Amino acid sequence: MFINRLINQGSAPMLEQVAKFTSQRHGLLLDNLANVSTFGYQQKDLSLDGFQAMLRERSEVRQASPPGSVGYDDIQAEVENPQSGILFHDGNNRSMEQLTSDVAKNALMHNLAIELLRKQFATLDMALKERVT
Amino acid sequence: MFENLDTSASALTAQRTRMNAIAANVAGMNVTHDADGKPNPYRRKFAIMAEGHPNDPDAPGVHIVSVEQDQSPFRKVLDWSHPDHDKDGYVKMPNIDLAIEMVDMMEASRAYEANISAMEVSKSMMNATLRLLA
Repeated sequence: MFINRLINQGSAPMLEQVAKFTSQRHGLLLDNLANVSTFGYQQKDLSLDGFQAMLRERSEVRQASPPGSVGYDDIQAEVENPQSGILFHDGNNRSMEQLTSDVAKNALMHNLAIELLRKQFATLDMALKERVT
Repeated sequence: MFENLDTSASALTAQRTRMNAIAANVAGMNVTHDADGKPNPYRRKFAIMAEGHPNDPDAPGVHIVSVEQDQSPFRKVLDWSHPDHDKDGYVKMPNIDLAIEMVDMMEASRAYEANISAMEVSKSMMNATLRLLA
């Protein structure tokens, strides 16, 4: 109970959701990349703006609620078919530039979330050991 | 997260199969006889890809459905010295356009490289996640 409260306070649960989201999005982006030559394939993605809006909204509710009463576990981003790419004659709306930059940005966001989470755990570890390392 | 590597691996396999078909086309662009030695020009081959992993069509990835033969007409080249020429001196040559094959080859090669890079990104993400334990 004590450990749960310790871990679930601050931004750790939110960072956990970001890592989960980027991981799911990475899977979809890789599927898009694998299907760049597939006839009629339509690109899939998770809405980053939608996810951030949900996270912001939940964060505001969380701040106004008692500690530990509101979580982020039920936040689920919807799969969408962005129409930003040019529709090629084979029916595929690939955009390699968009795709590769999305993969890179998504990976950076994932690594950032993980790194911040790691720092938080390190701080927690330091507090538990009562020793600055 | 490990299945992301399978997604990219399925793309590598598909692009390699496509590249094999292209290589066969380039190799056979002047072939006018079949394996039995009869006058029957080589027909262009191309790979048809579909969404879904080869082992599980519902999983993300791509797979080769089949390698088909291009049914477009053969090229006719005027060559009286060729033993297979018709009464007007024309010889049926494979229906292969080297420019198309080269463009397809570059596309397959770039797609292969892109998926290799994606695998590297997947590995870096997995490493970052695993560092949480250490």
